[in-house]
Amino acid sequence: MSMLKLAFLNFKTSFKNYLSLVISLVFSILVLFNYLNLIFSDSLDSIMDKQNIQAVIAAVVFVLVCFMFFFIWYASNVFLQRRKKDIGIYIFMGLTNSQIGQLYMIETGLIGLVSIALGIGLGMVTSRLFTMILMAISQISVDIHFQLFLEPVLITALLFLAIFGFMMIKGYWNIVHSSILEMVQATRQNEYVHTNKAILVFKGVLGLLVLAGGCYVGIKDRGVEALGNALIAVVLVTIGIYLFFGGILPLIFQHLVKKKAFLYQKTRNLWVNSFVFRIQKNYRTYAMVCVLLLCSVTVLATSFAMYLRYQGIVNFRNTYTYQITSFQEGEEDLYADLINQDNTVDYQSSLPLLLVDSSYIDTPYKNNLYAFVRYSDVVKISEASGLKLDFDAPDDNEVVELSRLYLMSFADPSENESMTVNHETYQGIASSTVPFLGQYQENMDFTVVSDHVYEKLEEIGTEIYLYNYHIEDPANGQASQDELNTVANESRSFLFVDPTSPDIEWVRLIYSVCIFLFLVFALASGSILFMKIYNDAYEERGRYTILQKMGVAYEQLQSSIKSEQCIAYLLPYGLMSITSYFAIKALSNAMHEDLWLINLGSVLVIGVILWICYLLSVRAYMKNANIAKR
Amino acid sequence: MQKILSLKNIEKNYGNKDYTTKVLKGIDLDIYANDFIAIMGPSGSGKTTLLNILSTIDKPTHGQLILNGQDLTHISNKVLSKIRRDQIGFIFQDYNLLDTMSLEDNIALPLSLNGVAAGKIREKVRELANLFGLTEHLKKYPYQLSGGQKQRGATCRALITDPEIIFADEPTGALDSKASRDLLERLKLVNERGQATILMVTHDAFSASYAKEVYILSDGRIQSRLTCGASRKDFYDRIIDMQASMGSDFA
Repeated sequence: MSMLKLAFLNFKTSFKNYLSLVISLVFSILVLFNYLNLIFSDSLDSIMDKQNIQAVIAAVVFVLVCFMFFFIWYASNVFLQRRKKDIGIYIFMGLTNSQIGQLYMIETGLIGLVSIALGIGLGMVTSRLFTMILMAISQISVDIHFQLFLEPVLITALLFLAIFGFMMIKGYWNIVHSSILEMVQATRQNEYVHTNKAILVFKGVLGLLVLAGGCYVGIKDRGVEALGNALIAVVLVTIGIYLFFGGILPLIFQHLVKKKAFLYQKTRNLWVNSFVFRIQKNYRTYAMVCVLLLCSVTVLATSFAMYLRYQGIVNFRNTYTYQITSFQEGEEDLYADLINQDNTVDYQSSLPLLLVDSSYIDTPYKNNLYAFVRYSDVVKISEASGLKLDFDAPDDNEVVELSRLYLMSFADPSENESMTVNHETYQGIASSTVPFLGQYQENMDFTVVSDHVYEKLEEIGTEIYLYNYHIEDPANGQASQDELNTVANESRSFLFVDPTSPDIEWVRLIYSVCIFLFLVFALASGSILFMKIYNDAYEERGRYTILQKMGVAYEQLQSSIKSEQCIAYLLPYGLMSITSYFAIKALSNAMHEDLWLINLGSVLVIGVILWICYLLSVRAYMKNANIAKR
Repeated sequence: MQKILSLKNIEKNYGNKDYTTKVLKGIDLDIYANDFIAIMGPSGSGKTTLLNILSTIDKPTHGQLILNGQDLTHISNKVLSKIRRDQIGFIFQDYNLLDTMSLEDNIALPLSLNGVAAGKIREKVRELANLFGLTEHLKKYPYQLSGGQKQRGATCRALITDPEIIFADEPTGALDSKASRDLLERLKLVNERGQATILMVTHDAFSASYAKEVYILSDGRIQSRLTCGASRKDFYDRIIDMQASMGSDFA
């Protein structure tokens, strides 16, 4: 029998073992392919900011490829370890290490080829559906037609072939350089290593400190430093999680095994011991899954937050349908009458703005023009437009900044800058993103001052008037444009806010892209745990045969397995839930929004996904370990 | 004397109706409390099949198996599981200790699964470990124990539920002669103290000579029965003679 034939036979018979790996690989390849296809397609041409979208997708593709690399690395290690046990048999059959290495290479290659072929094939079939779902989640209406390009196929295939090629060579190298004894003994490895308590305590405490340090660094700053800190936090949290699982977890469980009053209850004697027995090997898996879950919860929260922020920006913009600036006072009714010819004004307001040349101003950030408004005018406007006033009246030496909603910003809104106007310094006391001045507030910053200060500043500034109107049917806004144009002149400027304007639609795509990324991460986490449990079950067969012979009831075995699996899923999930608070906190610092509800929601969504994985793995485990109701 | 287990005309056939192999051809056997019975026989005589039926892992084609007055041939598997757990103890040739737990937890396992209080379990484990010379090894894991220690541990596990009867399947099969003697002496001691009724399947005349009675199985039937006299040495010689007279391959 040729090597190829033998490898193919092996692959065929153990395909079930590879199934969970192949499924998650196929899904990831499918997502990657579709993202790439989207970059090349013209589906997004109608959206103005195609470049922005392409940049987002390119970044996601990069993250996806990096992630896939590590995922395949992990999975191939798991399978290599499993293969080593069969390898012992080949050695006695007289095969050389190099031949066994070749066998492994061909098998890995087959998994890779099948996954790539299925992934790209299904990707092609689902490309239109994928784009439709993406656009539907993003609420973007574009014409989607079936388009396939050669480039995404080639890029996807080449990327994965490169990754698999690397793993094949790595596996071959590993086998060729393994001693025969090591491979033969892989069949009867004793995984239990009772680690010294002092080492565990050291590892655990260090892990907790590093983890706490990472969490602290992640949320301590709100300014530009937060960006640099985020990177350090990611590294520290990852190391912390590894040390935590490698230290605290064995420590607690080794202690529990000694507490017989605890151990000899229900089925604990079975599963707690079994858990401890494997912990040295499994804690890395738990840590990896925990990190992955943390990534997925952050990605999902980013997605939700982007969605909320998008809605916020849209609402911000749609505060007024028309905004008119004029040098003339008292024109409120003139414009209202014109608008009312084709539309109905819902609410309206007007106020004077004081424009001051930048030469009078001394602040750290220089603008060309500075605009000041009276506090009493802002109160008036908030009442007319139904907007909630979120700051107190500034004193004569104080100012309040009115600014826009940023998609994401590392600037710290709590740092209220002082400003010097005409040699007098005013302390900033608050900053508001309530759109009192509508679209104008998005284009420039306004400073709210007390009425008294405003009067003082009138000497150095020019006053203009802002008229705001919101109509009942903003979609019909275009209709009143002609009437307004009849009174247009040099001293007036009209601003019409088109609610259907697509200029920030690309933001919506971010959240749907994030949702797919979340799915990939969550599926991979579930699949890693599932793979581990699936493989463990084969090794546990002997143990369960003994227990069944002893007359241990099916229900007891099932309950023991459920408890063990439940802990395997709960531990990474639990630690992720706690650390996610800090990750999301860092995100909310960047987005200047309270995201705790989103944090809770994302954790719950992941909980549901893991719950399903848990139910599936209990079933698979019982089947693989040959536990049946007799 | 209380009758614990009774076999009435047990038959076991394998195969389908076109081709049937009769492995057991009508076995009658009564086991009383505090018996120590060895079943011997050549390869293919039906020893393992008989033990599987006795231990309720397999069901007979015909006949009755009565444990403490309860016919086990027609009851549900769930009840059988419970009977195996509560009333029967097993000692296997390859020890079958769980390598995931310490010897102490292995011995404690049946009681802990039955919901017995931890304090009582520990007391019982200590008592049995003391009897089988394992007190110093309780914290060790199976891979840290010798074959003899493992088998003594497995025996403790079988005894801890105070079963009505213990089935031992070639308990010395994987042990050297010293470890075998050590185990058999202790089994004999437990039996003589009235703590256990034992049924042992073995091909080894030396092991069988520790029993009170030896049944020789051949071609699916009990061919003869030997009873221990005053001397174990003498009993051993008689078993060897019987094996020689039967001439088959005892394995």
